[in-house]
Amino acid sequence: MSDRTAYLFLLPALVLYLAFVALPIAQVVGYSFFDWDNGIIGDYVGLSNFARLGGDNVFWAALGHNAIWVVLTLAFPLTAGLILSAILAERNRHVIRWLSAIYFIPRTIPLVVAGIIWGWIYNPIFGLLNYLLESVGLGGWGGAWLAQPDTALLSLNVVGAWTFFGFCVVIYLAAIQSIDPSLYEAAEIDGAGWGRKFRDITVPMLRNSTLFLGLYAAIEAMRFFDLVWVTTQGGPGYATEVLTTHVYKTFFLVGDFGYAATLSVVLLAIVLAISSISFFVLRAK
Amino acid sequence: MSRPARLIQTVILILFAAYALAPVYLVVLASMRSEADLFAGPLALPWPINIENFRRVWQDSGFSSYFFNSVKISAAVTVLVLLSAPLAGFAFAKMRFAGREALFALFLAGLVVPAPSVIVALYGNLQTLGLIDNQIGVILPQAALLMPFSVFMMRTVMQDVPDELIEASTMDGASLFGTFVRIVVPIARPGLMSLTLIVFLFSWQEYLLPLVVLQTETLKPITVGAASLQGRYGVDYGGIAAAGLIAFAPVVALFLIMQRSFVRGLSAGAVK
Repeated sequence: MSDRTAYLFLLPALVLYLAFVALPIAQVVGYSFFDWDNGIIGDYVGLSNFARLGGDNVFWAALGHNAIWVVLTLAFPLTAGLILSAILAERNRHVIRWLSAIYFIPRTIPLVVAGIIWGWIYNPIFGLLNYLLESVGLGGWGGAWLAQPDTALLSLNVVGAWTFFGFCVVIYLAAIQSIDPSLYEAAEIDGAGWGRKFRDITVPMLRNSTLFLGLYAAIEAMRFFDLVWVTTQGGPGYATEVLTTHVYKTFFLVGDFGYAATLSVVLLAIVLAISSISFFVLRAK
Repeated sequence: MSRPARLIQTVILILFAAYALAPVYLVVLASMRSEADLFAGPLALPWPINIENFRRVWQDSGFSSYFFNSVKISAAVTVLVLLSAPLAGFAFAKMRFAGREALFALFLAGLVVPAPSVIVALYGNLQTLGLIDNQIGVILPQAALLMPFSVFMMRTVMQDVPDELIEASTMDGASLFGTFVRIVVPIARPGLMSLTLIVFLFSWQEYLLPLVVLQTETLKPITVGAASLQGRYGVDYGGIAAAGLIAFAPVVALFLIMQRSFVRGLSAGAVK
């Protein structure tokens, strides 16, 4: 078979991909080296757009929030997914099927809609969360969850976790079901309890899935936009600003094309770095 | 395992089920609540059941048009991807040609590209092409952004097609394309089904592209519509809840019906 046939098979996918993904990436990289005035390209300015990053406090705050998001995701939904799947794996198959479907439902809901629903749960006046706190006598703990800088990012992360933990359960469950059952049987004969089996068999055997989910979570933490945009738009102040919202505002609201392109390049560099790490780490296995 | 330990585990399973479902439940309740019923507290059962919110949102707020725009855009993206990604996946899985590794790496790199990072250039390009405020300006980039994942997944699916069947068919004189259509596609059908569902789901969920590309109200999909409704209606929670429900009920239902197919697709990359 000739190379030409292969290229013809590739052609439709390749054309779309080059025109609407690869070309814009190349352009964004190019744009970042120029000065822009009202959307019109100006002088070549070398790396001076990149030099501005150092003094851009919003950029560093955003980057910090992306990093916090990664840590929170590893700490909560990933861990929850691990424990839930380990418990679930020992139940009968109807329970497994139903509960994993239920856990997964939030992921099928568009993040925009998730943001709207949760924005409402967090509403200081009508919200369910304050209502529940009040009804159990903890009204003093209530607050304007998304409007206060100290709770906004954490509250949003609870929404992110809501959409993500079911995905972790599904990935972990598939991996647990491929663990050799004789490992558990041997451990039981040795008198190991649930905790011991979880720690000494399940967790180590799921290392690859954990690695995959961790890297996936890190990439998602850099990419997410919808959830922040429909709830806080990066506020209050810059308390929930992330790189994607910073790019969006710099481009559409400030109209600073060169610097928006520079921020995009940084964002791309970070996700590509994480993904090449994951590629090599997972391939090395 | 001791009974109390098992009980604690069951409680954990149920608590997380509540975490997953409570917001959904809340929206369903609120969407059916009449105004008079509003002060009964957010968890009280709505009575009498009221479908006025749905009628108002569907007819007066243009939600029927948002809904059908979403169907249209998602279907178009899905068809585009289905016409291109399986062919490319087949080429990467079964054919030998110069530049194969490099081209595959090129697609692989796109797997993680966030839409916001290309929007700065993409927006200008769409303007040049006259595709701003045109649904095609959403469909093409969206299909392109989903292409790396789809090609990657299709390569995995196509690798499982037995070589002997392909060889037998080409030896009988069929062209490779004919073989692809008549032999490979039927075998890969479960994988193609997964791809269809996932691409449809992802494009249904898309927000940023339609938000920046579409300006005319009657062209916008449901994600953009729901977000703007939130601003417009302020405290009409019944209306917002009905809108939210319309926006997610179809995909949740689709997922529940086709669960196996969905999960197989989403975990394809992870299991490999």
